[in-house]
Amino acid sequence: MNLYKNFYVMNAMSTRAERKQKIVLPSTPFFTLGIAAGIAVIPISNALKKTDATNIQVVSPNALSMLLNDLYIVLSVSLLAILLGIVCAFYLEEWLPKTNWVRRFIESHVAVLTGIPSVLYGILAISIFLSYAGTLKVINGAPAAQDTGARPFQRHTTLFLGEGLIFILMVMPVTIKTTQEALRSVATPVREAAYALGASQWQVLTRHVVPIAFTRMLAAGCRAMARAFATAALLIGTYIWHYTAETDGMSSRFLLFLGAALFLSVCSSTLVEIHASIYNSDSA
Amino acid sequence: MENKIEISDLRVHYGDTPALNGISFDVHPNEILSIIGPAQSGKTTFLKVINRTLEFTPEATVEGSVKLDGVDIRTIGDVYGLRRRIGMVLPLPVGLPLSIYDNVAFAPRAAGLRTKSELDEIVERCLQQAALWDEVKDRLDTLGTKLSGGQQQRLTIARALSHQPEVLCLDEFSIAIDPVTTMRIEEVLKTLQKEMTILLVTNLVQQAKRLANRTAFFLNGDLIEIDTTDVIFSDNPANQATYDYVNGTFG
Repeated sequence: MNLYKNFYVMNAMSTRAERKQKIVLPSTPFFTLGIAAGIAVIPISNALKKTDATNIQVVSPNALSMLLNDLYIVLSVSLLAILLGIVCAFYLEEWLPKTNWVRRFIESHVAVLTGIPSVLYGILAISIFLSYAGTLKVINGAPAAQDTGARPFQRHTTLFLGEGLIFILMVMPVTIKTTQEALRSVATPVREAAYALGASQWQVLTRHVVPIAFTRMLAAGCRAMARAFATAALLIGTYIWHYTAETDGMSSRFLLFLGAALFLSVCSSTLVEIHASIYNSDSA
Repeated sequence: MENKIEISDLRVHYGDTPALNGISFDVHPNEILSIIGPAQSGKTTFLKVINRTLEFTPEATVEGSVKLDGVDIRTIGDVYGLRRRIGMVLPLPVGLPLSIYDNVAFAPRAAGLRTKSELDEIVERCLQQAALWDEVKDRLDTLGTKLSGGQQQRLTIARALSHQPEVLCLDEFSIAIDPVTTMRIEEVLKTLQKEMTILLVTNLVQQAKRLANRTAFFLNGDLIEIDTTDVIFSDNPANQATYDYVNGTFG
């Protein structure tokens, strides 16, 4: 009978202190998001006040330069976000123990950020664009940025930061989460076997974990970017639908974003397929 | 006779759950010591203590001492070197996601060996010892994970032999292997005994009877009995529980 002694001990209910600990940290995102929402109310309400359609004049800059600007922003920022996200995921997953409070704090926030529907990010983006006087529109007849994308690679700095921030907010949590999943998918027995052969942590990471997880990490980055592109395309599509005039630049942007989103989704699922065909093949 | 491994009052806890409650025994050089016992009795934990992979389980605490050749393993600074002195075969066959050749050559390479001819020699010798060479010699560059379960298990044995360990720990090596191949590997183990000490954790009591010089019986983290295999499998071992377990009338 006492054979099963340990079994019962292991399955015993967690103590009160433990349960408290389990609830307090994961609930911090509520507070963080609450504060963030409070701060965001001002630009959003400003934006809603200003988007009175009669007051908006559409400036149509050179279509090509707009495309180049978009590509420039999206590529540089997403590269940064994906790299940061991957480094962050490695640090959380491989170096910090599961019980570490920093890790639990970040993980709970990342989980919430990935769960937010991307349209909400879009609304946040619109509010920032409009209240900081975008290059697309001249609001209330007062041109805020004179050089409205006339030359490529020259943008309003605040706007650039705003767009970049939204993009990082959208791409990074998804990258962190999926990269962590990819790292976790490398089975513990593989690591244990490698360690038992006398490999150092660095050797285990570079020779086993990264090669196995690589395609899935790439797929994660693609999926995150596809999400961001799709949202941008959605917003621009809505814009075109609303303001039918002066849409040459807009429609090419819409197509660019939509095409990129489609392409990246296909890339991502193909990479996942490739990963599965290499590592999950039925061996028996 | 100098003892290969000396274990004194070894205690391991996972959090509040005890896994080993103060066991002490010696392992003689060049013997096959088999460890038998039901699930949850601390056999695998014991092996993890020896090659210090238990350190990856954060909640595990270890007390007492384990000495390898008279040196406490916890004072050894080069833990990777220590792990190379101890070969470990885990219960689930894990082909590392590398080619068959690289699987076997991994440990020698990690130890700094680069010469192609020496590596070739090691790979062929280890695969032959693990009774796998004939099946894979024509496709050494295919992924190790593509092999069948039994072949992967033999690949792990070849891998464990590749760094020429002083102590070979086998944790349920025969789960995924058919009886004929098991017999071939058991023959290999008997010849390897001349070069190294072998710790054999097994659920097959008959395997312990066939192979081991001495047998230890673990139960719920306690060492119930350790003696020569003849005594353990005789009609009158020192403890009644041992007799019951060996003869299948346990519980």
